[in-house]
Amino acid sequence: MKNKIMALMLSAPMLVLAADSPVGFVKTVNGEASVSHQGKAVRAEVGTPVFAGSVLRTAAQASLGVTFKDETVMSFGPNTELTVTEYLYAPGQGKLKMGSKLTRGSLNYVSGVIAKLQPDAVSIETPTGTIGVRGTHFLVNVGE
Amino acid sequence: MRRIHAKLLAAFLSIGLLGGCASKSYVVLLDNPDGSTGAVVIKGSKGEQVVDQSGHGAALDGSTRAAPVAAETIQRDFGSAMAARPILPERFLLYFESGGARLTEASAALLPKIIAAANRRPAVDVSIIGHTDTIGKAEVNEALALQRAQVIADLIKARGLKVHALSVESHGERNLLVATGDEVSEPRNRRVEISLR
Repeated sequence: MKNKIMALMLSAPMLVLAADSPVGFVKTVNGEASVSHQGKAVRAEVGTPVFAGSVLRTAAQASLGVTFKDETVMSFGPNTELTVTEYLYAPGQGKLKMGSKLTRGSLNYVSGVIAKLQPDAVSIETPTGTIGVRGTHFLVNVGE
Repeated sequence: MRRIHAKLLAAFLSIGLLGGCASKSYVVLLDNPDGSTGAVVIKGSKGEQVVDQSGHGAALDGSTRAAPVAAETIQRDFGSAMAARPILPERFLLYFESGGARLTEASAALLPKIIAAANRRPAVDVSIIGHTDTIGKAEVNEALALQRAQVIADLIKARGLKVHALSVESHGERNLLVATGDEVSEPRNRRVEISLR
């Protein structure tokens, strides 16, 4: 009985996880890269899902590319860490938000529908400053 | 003479921006895939800057004004990130005959092209969104738009497209491509949007 209760308790958070739908997918990987969600890291492969809250990391000499639901495209060079802090894409209900945090490394960013419909809903935090996106293609480097 | 001067100034500015150091934190604006140029706004501890010219960059702490960044510097710091960029997403519009889920002839002819484009993508992630014009009740159109989107989803699956992820949605008459009043028949609004990612 005790075991059953334990099993139930353990499976409850799994249900929450399953209800969480991906906000994007890994499309390109070179070398060693990972996607961490709720503290659990998986090796990044083509098709690996990315969620709101996921942390994307690349090792030395590695790179990674992700395409999001709203058609935002991000790709990363080596030694990079980016957290998808917030992601809301429900244009039918006017709910749009895309926040990320680049803590180190390099990012190539091509903005998508969220930046087009509501530019002030998109921002990228870095250790020294915040970037506001006005619908565009740009590069960001965060040094050590 | 003046040109040499300008070149020297540009070189000086880019050295100033990067401080001759590879680890500086900065942003560089590039042309959009469609050839236009947008802008980024930097809010840092040392000020606020706007970068609105392609090839120009500025420090992330807001301490420097936007200035040209040398192509070699961009290649050195971002070559790997740029090479890893996924294929850019692509959108298609399919149009319907009035009042039902029957594709126009021209749109039906477009399906093989869409399937071929989807098959070229790794782990293709597809959204299909149905829309109507404003003829009829909003609730009825909500259902009709979903029916249109579902018809397209079934069609592309029947033709052998393997999708990694698929979403089928209805925007009913809430998201018109061409703004009209209520009860207006507008062929361009009777559509399904397909986003291939």
